[in-house]
Amino acid sequence: MPEIVIQEISKTLGGLLTLGEINMKAADSAFVGILGPSGCGKSTLFNIISGLMRPDSGHVFIDKQDVTGRTGRVSYMRQKDLLLPSLNILENASIPLILKGHPKKKAHAEAEKHLSQFGLEGFQRYYPSQLSGGMRQRAAMLRTYLFSSDILLLDEPFASLDAITKRKMQTWLIGVFNQIRPTVMFITHDVDEALYLCDKVYVLSECPTVVKMEIKVPFSRPQHGRTITDPGYSKMRDTIMEALEL
Amino acid sequence: MKKLKNTVNIVIPLAFVTLLLTGWEVMVRCKSVPEWILPGPVRIARTFADNAPVIAKHSQSTLLECLAGFGIAIVFSFVIAFLMDEIELIKRALYPLIVASQTVPIVSVAPLFIIWFGYGLMPKIIVVVLVCFFPIAISLMGGLAAVDREYLELFRSMKASRLDIFRMVKLPLAMPSFFSGLRISAAYSVMGAVIGEWLGAKQGLGLYMTLSQRSFQVDRVFAAILAVTALSAALFVLVVLAERLVIPWNRLKQDR
Ligand SMILES: Nc1ncnc2c1ncn2[C@@H]1O[C@H](COP(=O)(O)OP(=O)(O)O)[C@@H](O)[C@H]1O
Ligand SMILES: [Mg+2]
Repeated sequence: MPEIVIQEISKTLGGLLTLGEINMKAADSAFVGILGPSGCGKSTLFNIISGLMRPDSGHVFIDKQDVTGRTGRVSYMRQKDLLLPSLNILENASIPLILKGHPKKKAHAEAEKHLSQFGLEGFQRYYPSQLSGGMRQRAAMLRTYLFSSDILLLDEPFASLDAITKRKMQTWLIGVFNQIRPTVMFITHDVDEALYLCDKVYVLSECPTVVKMEIKVPFSRPQHGRTITDPGYSKMRDTIMEALEL
Repeated sequence: MKKLKNTVNIVIPLAFVTLLLTGWEVMVRCKSVPEWILPGPVRIARTFADNAPVIAKHSQSTLLECLAGFGIAIVFSFVIAFLMDEIELIKRALYPLIVASQTVPIVSVAPLFIIWFGYGLMPKIIVVVLVCFFPIAISLMGGLAAVDREYLELFRSMKASRLDIFRMVKLPLAMPSFFSGLRISAAYSVMGAVIGEWLGAKQGLGLYMTLSQRSFQVDRVFAAILAVTALSAALFVLVVLAERLVIPWNRLKQDR
């Protein structure tokens, strides 16, 4: 599985220096969190990694290959599911394969293989509007996965879900992660979510955004939805809160 | 419970219409209004039945003009909307022109088409196209422009071509808006055809109307109005059915 290196990325948007010299690294099969105040440029960073936007300076390397400003290597999943209302779940999930030129039948068969893993078994013929928010996010994640199965960029994927669904989705995501071991970058502004899921968390500052803190999360990722009870947890939480000036 | 509510929703307006028609009939009979000023509904119904074959023949050409004009307007709308959506220069050049063209009343230019194209179907079809084009094109372009930017970014990041994005994302997402424009212009199309026929025609409900009016056969004018209304309603229903067929998924949202 690949390694992502973000090297001295800076970007000015609308005359405002949004990202100033960002350095990050997501090792092979790491689960890396990005925490930061809203509007600090987290989504902008993903736009740059996925090649939708060119940085003013700096580079993005995936497996030592410079992919700066080039689309096609990774896509990313957003807070909105962005499923097409005109297609059913299976057709929606197959879109990346269709775009890569697979014939429809083959694309559907390939997507169908992963339905149960993404908790969508039996729902392939349903339209997005017939499903709950959590299900739709899982379908969107399957679509992201089918574009690049070795890297998942997730931009606040659970932010619009209610607390219970969110917790279920987090536990489910850990399960999927343990099976397929991709390299994950996960944007959130929820400190607990970051500590719950990630091996490493980057805390970002307000604009112009720099990496304020890089924290290794020492607790092992919880199994079966348990709460982390490690005594070091609340201390680490406080440190991050302080860095975020909350 | 829901069924009962639906029945009530149908029964109430139906009862109201019956009341109005009865009132109309009673008024005409009690005050003995002359038939060439205002015939009662019963008389109109009888005239309609008596002249059904003639009215059907005239309806046929009006319907033909409507469908032809409607179809051409749809094709034009798609071509123009596609070009304007894909090519910024064309949008800048055409959009103000299209909006400004709506300040010209179609009725005022219709006589020109009669001069140029005679009394056949052609000038009516042109009027129908002109009347229908605007609501269809504007709603289609509005739908295309309203597509969430994030959809476009997502598909661009998945290396979709511009054509793919138009075909897979923009067009389906614009369909609900397109159909709302289509519903409006369904009714407009009949109006356009009838106006075209008023100005001179060999056949059509508009012609039947003017002929009846000139001979003060008001009951026939009303019968023609009835036919025109039925035609509008039929086209509207046709559009609604097409909508259900083409975008069945759009109704799921309303059910929730
Ligand atoms: N294309 C753009 N042009 C100009 N400004 C932008 C653009 N995209 C985002 N911005 C601005 O850049 C800042 C960072 O945006 P974003 O990356 O979405 O923040 P975050 O995801 O951290 O909430 C915001 O203030 C936003 O208004
Ligand atoms: Mg964001």
